[in-house]
Amino acid sequence: MSIDPQSRVPIYEQIYRGVTELAANKLLSPGEKLPSVRELSKRYSINPNTVAKAFGMLERDGIIYSVPGKGSFLSGGHEDVILSNACREFEEAAVKAHKSGLSQEKMIEIVKETGVRK
Amino acid sequence: MITLSGVTKLFDGVPALDNADLEIPTGVSYGLLGSNGAGKSTLLRLISGTYRSDGGKVLIDGEEIFDNARVREKVFFINDETVQFGRFTLKELKNFYKGYYPKFSDEVFDELAKKVQLPMDKRTDKFSKGMKRQSIVITGLACRTDYLLLDEAFDGLDPTMRIIVKRMLVDAILDRGLTTVISSHNLKEINEVCDTVALLHKGRIVFNRDLDSVKGNIHKVQAAFPENRSKEDFVSPNILHFDKNGSVCHIIMRGDENMIKEYLAPYSPMFLDIIPMTLEEIFIYEMEGLGYKADEITEGGEAL
Repeated sequence: MSIDPQSRVPIYEQIYRGVTELAANKLLSPGEKLPSVRELSKRYSINPNTVAKAFGMLERDGIIYSVPGKGSFLSGGHEDVILSNACREFEEAAVKAHKSGLSQEKMIEIVKETGVRK
Repeated sequence: MITLSGVTKLFDGVPALDNADLEIPTGVSYGLLGSNGAGKSTLLRLISGTYRSDGGKVLIDGEEIFDNARVREKVFFINDETVQFGRFTLKELKNFYKGYYPKFSDEVFDELAKKVQLPMDKRTDKFSKGMKRQSIVITGLACRTDYLLLDEAFDGLDPTMRIIVKRMLVDAILDRGLTTVISSHNLKEINEVCDTVALLHKGRIVFNRDLDSVKGNIHKVQAAFPENRSKEDFVSPNILHFDKNGSVCHIIMRGDENMIKEYLAPYSPMFLDIIPMTLEEIFIYEMEGLGYKADEITEGGEAL
């Protein structure tokens, strides 16, 4: 996960996306412990309230759960949230490509190719 | 909690701070933005009890700070005038502050001084500028006050020291609910370290909101419309900036994504891109809205 404080994307959203991406790529598995707010704040030297905010949103969306005194853990069954986030991001990219004049055929071709590569 | 109500500070009859109302809750990391002379340092000096206000009240946890030793020991103000170095060695300086701040930590002081390799037995007035700055910051952190004020926070600190300070602030915020008020021209740093920001201009507080809502509430819009549109077609107090490049309109607009979409819908845009802005861009456009433009400043001119 990387955090870019210069980015236009708010830091809490970068953390949110980072965790969902790690989960989607199976780099974090259900039940696995996440780094604490303190660890993440120090690693990226960012404000702990910002990290706590991202954790709060992840918990609200059922992606993580927290155990008082123990920390935060990845939930199971978060796939639908991650997939709907991925859908939204894919749609945004498609709209952008369309604006730049990319044909539907070409887009489908790219989708097929990247599908094969993975 | 830090509370300012109707605070005014005059210098030769001219307000450096003009009827300011502000509440800074405990545990918040507060960033002060503003051009030179906006009143940031004056505000910090009032909060630290260095200045007496010419009107209104400056309260720390409900009590006036000026001339109140019991309240002043809750606050440490890191700026270049805080510490009078004189003939003191660092060891003597430490003992001086230790006597004044009840929660002073020898451990924090010694560990930090060692980390940045400051000599304990050398006269501090012989220190370089950077070493003096390090000494003040180390002292400020070791005093372990409930409130830490940083004027031009990270000036004169090398990258390693910056990271050390930021990590210590993380611990202090989490472990004892430290409240920090930070002024800095480095907006990247404010963006990292703070969760709430205020913009000051000519002694007035223009806005005062949590950082994410500041960032979510202004956008850069790129759009093209079927008819030939000009600036005059878009009349809204939320539009801070408009220019046109060929058929593409560049608009800086207040509001979240949905509000902007809704506002522009009647113009039936052929394409519409709504992009979040960096804190630096927001600062520049807000200042432009206040009549403080970067492109009007020339080498010969004076920046306020």
